[in-house]
Amino acid sequence: MSAAALRHAASRRLPGTLLLGGAVLGAIAVLAVIGPWITPYNPTAFAVRFRFVPPGAAHWFGTDEFGRDVLSRVLAGAHYSLVMGFGATALSLAVGVPLGLLAAFHRGLVEEAIMRPIDLLISLPPVLLGLLILAVTPPNLFKTVLAVGIVYVPILARLSRAVALGLLEEDFVTAARARGEGAVSILAREILPNAWPPIIVESGLRVTFAILLGSSLSFLGLGPQPPGSEWGLMIAESREFLDRAPWIGLAPGFSLCVLLIAVNLFGEGLREFLDPRLRGRAGG
Amino acid sequence: MAEAAAPILAVEGLSVSYATPYARLFALDDVSLAIPRGEVLGLVGESGSGKSTVVLAALGLLGEAASVSARRAEFDGRDLLADAAALRGRRIGVVFQDPAAALNPALSIGLQVAEPMLTHQRLPRTEAYARAAALLGELGIPRVAEIMQAYPHQLSGGMKQRAMIAAALAGEPELLLLDEPTTALDVTIEAQILDLLEGLRASRGLSMLLVSHNLGIVGRLCDRLTILYAGRTVETGPTAAVLAAPRHPYTRGLLGALPRPEARARRLLPIPGALPDLRSPDPGCNFRPRCPLAVAACAEPQAMLPAGPARRVRCHRHALVADLPLLLDPVAPSRPSAAAPLVDVEGLTRGFGGPTLLRRRRTRVHAVDGMSLTIHPGEIVGLVGESGCGKSTLARLILRLLPADGGRLAFDGRPVPERPDLAFRRRAQIVLQNPDGSLNPRRTVEAILRRPLAHFGLAQGAAAGREVARLLELVRLPEAYRSRYPHQLSGGEKQRVGIARALATRPDFLVCDEAVSALDVSVQAAVLNLLQDLRDTLGVAYLFISHDIGVIAHIADTIVVMYRGHAMERGPADAVLHAPHHPYTEALLSAGAARQMRLVDTAPSGAGCRFAGACPRKLGAICDIEPPPWREASAGHRILCHIPVEQLARPGLRPGPAGARRPQTP
Repeated sequence: MSAAALRHAASRRLPGTLLLGGAVLGAIAVLAVIGPWITPYNPTAFAVRFRFVPPGAAHWFGTDEFGRDVLSRVLAGAHYSLVMGFGATALSLAVGVPLGLLAAFHRGLVEEAIMRPIDLLISLPPVLLGLLILAVTPPNLFKTVLAVGIVYVPILARLSRAVALGLLEEDFVTAARARGEGAVSILAREILPNAWPPIIVESGLRVTFAILLGSSLSFLGLGPQPPGSEWGLMIAESREFLDRAPWIGLAPGFSLCVLLIAVNLFGEGLREFLDPRLRGRAGG
Repeated sequence: MAEAAAPILAVEGLSVSYATPYARLFALDDVSLAIPRGEVLGLVGESGSGKSTVVLAALGLLGEAASVSARRAEFDGRDLLADAAALRGRRIGVVFQDPAAALNPALSIGLQVAEPMLTHQRLPRTEAYARAAALLGELGIPRVAEIMQAYPHQLSGGMKQRAMIAAALAGEPELLLLDEPTTALDVTIEAQILDLLEGLRASRGLSMLLVSHNLGIVGRLCDRLTILYAGRTVETGPTAAVLAAPRHPYTRGLLGALPRPEARARRLLPIPGALPDLRSPDPGCNFRPRCPLAVAACAEPQAMLPAGPARRVRCHRHALVADLPLLLDPVAPSRPSAAAPLVDVEGLTRGFGGPTLLRRRRTRVHAVDGMSLTIHPGEIVGLVGESGCGKSTLARLILRLLPADGGRLAFDGRPVPERPDLAFRRRAQIVLQNPDGSLNPRRTVEAILRRPLAHFGLAQGAAAGREVARLLELVRLPEAYRSRYPHQLSGGEKQRVGIARALATRPDFLVCDEAVSALDVSVQAAVLNLLQDLRDTLGVAYLFISHDIGVIAHIADTIVVMYRGHAMERGPADAVLHAPHHPYTEALLSAGAARQMRLVDTAPSGAGCRFAGACPRKLGAICDIEPPPWREASAGHRILCHIPVEQLARPGLRPGPAGARRPQTP
């Protein structure tokens, strides 16, 4: 092995995108958990004398139309977005990936039975589908997670199936079949470890879309209810004061933006880290 | 050979390097070559030698990332590096390796051949098309008008490569660069294409640069050879002299590693080691670590030294090379096994496609049509046939990886059910072709080798660890490779891990599906030797599948020749390799017979012989109508043909075209 190859092999450190995304995401997660204890003010307490106070030393993000501290409300609302983003994505991963893999392995009837209903789901616009699921029962956070999760099952199922179809043609799968391995074993041991990179990247995207969709549904009044401070809901409530007190909407909007960028960086970095082929090539 | 004239292409001191993230990669290091007008130069080297880089450099197509320098690079007196864009396509034509990839699938053949004339010579459309048709006709393409309208997917590989050559000739070039022009083609087609190139050189006075990894084919066409190793020229000289008495240890190694039907009882001589790291080139001889003659003085920079008439070699010990053994001692012939057959296949059939609910008139194509064969314990049965003949389908049918449409399969005396039990799976294993795809890229070598042990419950924990060590030793890989991932291994090493994985279950029967086809000659020899040793020590029986009759001839005890899903000839290797031959076997073995095979692109329809359409010795209507009988040529040697054995024993060759030379191998 040459000196250059050695240097290359030694460079198996974490990618910068993963570190940056992870750090920001971690900070937001910590703030979301300890938020209720570090909020400078009670996020739901009205203070009529301090309505529409612009950002300053006392209120870093200003106050809203009821005199509530915007920083406290943003902190208290952080967990909604995180739960919606990661919860919904976890749900669609847990349902979509196995469905997609099974459809790829069992071509024919099983595939049709799985993929045709999924095509039906995919033809509906996400917000409309979310509305359909949520509108019939009183809204709350977990129903929003469920709705958003179901909306993104088809995308992950289709992606997993496409990736698996390619991998199933590979010779190492033929070798596994020659050992008489079953469907579950082949899918779990041979296919899934190789299918992860595209699924991880897609999941990163899904988390951001899930946060956005969750916030959109909250914006439409189908998520957490007032006085909860879900960021989408906050933006909705701030709309009529946008000209007088833009900070009420900008603070949760900006927070949402930072969260989404952090999630994207994290997903990209994770893919880079998980793929051994992208790591250094040691000389043979 | 042409008289001494100014060379049409003269390159001296060509160096190409690339900037990579960690170091500079030196792809070519001081390469010199010259092609006299009207001559053919063969440029030979294994993968990574830089031979394609030479072609791309001559065309000026290396791209921004490459830094190219040369003391002199001239085409007919013009500066090649500066004028490449003006010369390529006009005065320099090029044909690449894979005609399927080089032709645009969305454009008709006629347009693709006429295109250079439309863009470079600005000919009117009708005239360009007329000339394209004439060119295609000159290259032996039948039904030219029809082919002009066709798209690449409608043509066979040989036809596509003919169309590619026609497109390269459209600009009336003086020099043709051929980058592995026949590597993607079947041997019989290869013989025809080489013939065609030979004819073109005679009729048009073309000069050519033929790039190849295969010493067998350059001998047929080239006047001179230049051998490349890891970016440097190591030897150059007249073809016959270089092949008969190589003066560089690497050239000698390449010849020793080449399996040949003529020398089948000899053991191959692999070249140990691997290509050097091109990022830190050795200032001395870069073949030194693999060379049997290496001494301390080899660390000095080596110059190209004169070595006989018109020959130069980059080795200060070249006088000693002639004494190196080219072939090792004969191997002991394997004893014929009188035991009951281990694998017994009868009438195995499998088709693809066929009528569906929506397309009722689709016919089912039989990839394997009534194949029968037996494999005895410890026997190596070689199955040879060209691409698409159904040999890989047969391999999967025998391992029950694909359900068969019909036929019987017995293993060790018992019929194998459609869904075989674990015992069958353990005893019958497979080694696959593509070293890059046959190992799970996410698992270490240790995990790959442990999986079959765990799956069949053969060993656990520390015992499995010891078993992994035993397997690595068996395929001669160092113990340290346990923790490596497949991408950290070379092609030959990956193939060894694939073999070790198949051997983990201690099988009695191994299917090797083109197991050495993707490897370079020097590595292929080592893997072939390994497989042979494993048979001798472990007594494993192989079904060894290959398109290369040289490889099959080398390793097999028994040979089965397959054509379009059916066996054409079978018998002990020595009998099959010597006359009488089936006409198809004859074509596989001899370029002379192959060039008389007819071009066919339609499947035969009747009940007659499958080879009738292409057969150079076709008798007449009987071949199309009546199924041929099995004729017994000698004990156990049977040929499926209408022609009587006595007649088959006489070569059926008409005199070959003038100027065609036989392969020149020692």
